[in-house]
Amino acid sequence: MENPYLPVKTEVLDVTEESPTIKTFRLKPEVPLHFKAGQFIEMSIPGKGEAPFTPSSSPYEKNKLEITIMKAGKITAMIHNLKKGDTVGLRGPYGKEYPLSEYEGKEILLVGGGVGLAPLRALFLALTHDIEKYKSVLFCCGSRTPSDIIYKDCVLDKWQNLDKKRVKFRITVDRKDDSWKGNVGLVTTTLDKLDINLKNSVSIVCGPPIMMKFATFKLIEVGYKPEQIYLSMEKNMSCGIGKCGHCRLGNFYACKDGPVFRYDKISHIHEIWD
Amino acid sequence: MDLYFINKPNLDRLVKSLLKTYKIFAPVKSDNNRFYKKVGEDGLGESVIGEIRAVEPIKSFYFPARTKIAEYFSSKEDSDAKEKPIAIIGAKSCDLVSFKVMDYVYGQEPFRDPSYVLKREEGLIISSDCTSYGETCFCVAIDIMPYPTEGFDINLSELEGGYVVEAGSGKGEKIIRDYFKLFQSAEPYVEKRNANRKKLKEDLLEHVKKSNIPPKDSIQKAFKSKFDSTLWEEVSKTCVECGACNMICPACHCFIIMDQKNEDKFERLRMWDSCLLMSFARVAGGANPRKLLAHRMRNRFDKKFNFFQDTIGRFGCTGCGRCTEACPGKIDIREVLSKF
Repeated sequence: MENPYLPVKTEVLDVTEESPTIKTFRLKPEVPLHFKAGQFIEMSIPGKGEAPFTPSSSPYEKNKLEITIMKAGKITAMIHNLKKGDTVGLRGPYGKEYPLSEYEGKEILLVGGGVGLAPLRALFLALTHDIEKYKSVLFCCGSRTPSDIIYKDCVLDKWQNLDKKRVKFRITVDRKDDSWKGNVGLVTTTLDKLDINLKNSVSIVCGPPIMMKFATFKLIEVGYKPEQIYLSMEKNMSCGIGKCGHCRLGNFYACKDGPVFRYDKISHIHEIWD
Repeated sequence: MDLYFINKPNLDRLVKSLLKTYKIFAPVKSDNNRFYKKVGEDGLGESVIGEIRAVEPIKSFYFPARTKIAEYFSSKEDSDAKEKPIAIIGAKSCDLVSFKVMDYVYGQEPFRDPSYVLKREEGLIISSDCTSYGETCFCVAIDIMPYPTEGFDINLSELEGGYVVEAGSGKGEKIIRDYFKLFQSAEPYVEKRNANRKKLKEDLLEHVKKSNIPPKDSIQKAFKSKFDSTLWEEVSKTCVECGACNMICPACHCFIIMDQKNEDKFERLRMWDSCLLMSFARVAGGANPRKLLAHRMRNRFDKKFNFFQDTIGRFGCTGCGRCTEACPGKIDIREVLSKF
């Protein structure tokens, strides 16, 4: 029987500083982990502990992956100290991915906040890999300040020119600085005046709990139905395999039944936004 | 299943023979409580086969409080020598019912828990009827009988001079076949066994009556109706967040993973965890869906009487009453259920 708790030895290939509190780690596991956009992995510092993260790189890249991590707790602080050449452990992938086949032929709205852009980046790269399958993609990104915007070279530059007809962006910051010429306001403000046929659209939201809550309510307000909204729930996914009990969400475990949930499936559950 | 009878000296002979294959544990009595003790070459000795459940839950053997679940980044093979499989003698009905929860959680595909599954597959359960009940016992109130009905390899019903023996699995049948000379016909004893069972069940039903526990089939609905009530503040008033109820519960399965360095390798440990502790559901970013103790208390009952009812069609509670015995805040699960 395979031991699901055993991590795969993984080399840190590169570290990119995305913002003052967020770094992206490029990793090469000894045994490739084939994840789908939205699934998560457990990353460990040997002998210290592990934490769950959703890879942010393209699921089509076979042997390497990237994970974007905000310094938030004990393990993430240790991860932030990692250098090129260090060894970490990975296990997974776990959980349910974004159901791409349900998005085909649709106008797709991505709503991301802060480090919540990480899973959406993997999703965005999967969508644009086969962009002809989808009608359009509108990516709404919110960050606290211009320096908190992650994947700057992609979001503000490279991705803007991918497919100008089908792929569009709305970038906003909560508070601007002198360098910022773009939109100012919470990410919910980018959801006004959507040029989208709502009947043929799905929206995918990922970000801090408070942002997810208000973005979801806003989407309902502008006319999305709960079954058209997909959320990535951040819970304490410790074992990753539905056994340790920490990430229970009503009758679900975020680790095996999620982390991607359709809103109508969980909207009745207390505690989802906390 | 066929029934047999085994007298006490022959049971002792059987157990001594099983020592070749199994590491055997049976309850012994101390200070009016029962604790599992390893059975040695001298056999069952002072072991108590009847009476009531032991203090410690049976999960302790299959899902120990602290287990090494992985050794990683080491060039050497796993250093632990393989141990003999475990046989438990004198497990009670409530213990067997707890396996319904544990087997579901740890045996669930696609990621089965290797250490638990192996122990269960290789292990042997020789259960026994309760011959009395404890003050906090309430199994019959949730339709669990004080005698095993399933989930055992062999069951023993204690009578004067010996035991009515029932095989409950192929493994149990094989043992009876292999040691057939130790067994007699059960015929003269079955009526007495059945009468004992009926009497204990009736006595226990009478005992739980005063707790006013709602009928089993109404408990889940009643829990849902109390979700937003002040009951949970009231119940948690004397909770000191020690987690004793979780540790002692045979159906509480939650654990925390801890990593440590051990010489030239790293070890991953799995340790029992408690959902009543503040940090249980907290995430690194600081969000915590159950910041309030009242919500954590509610969560414990939610998991037991709502989640598992929906998930596996039965409660994550066996009516063993251990949590009531263990709670320093005198929180009595029967009393909480009576307020549903």
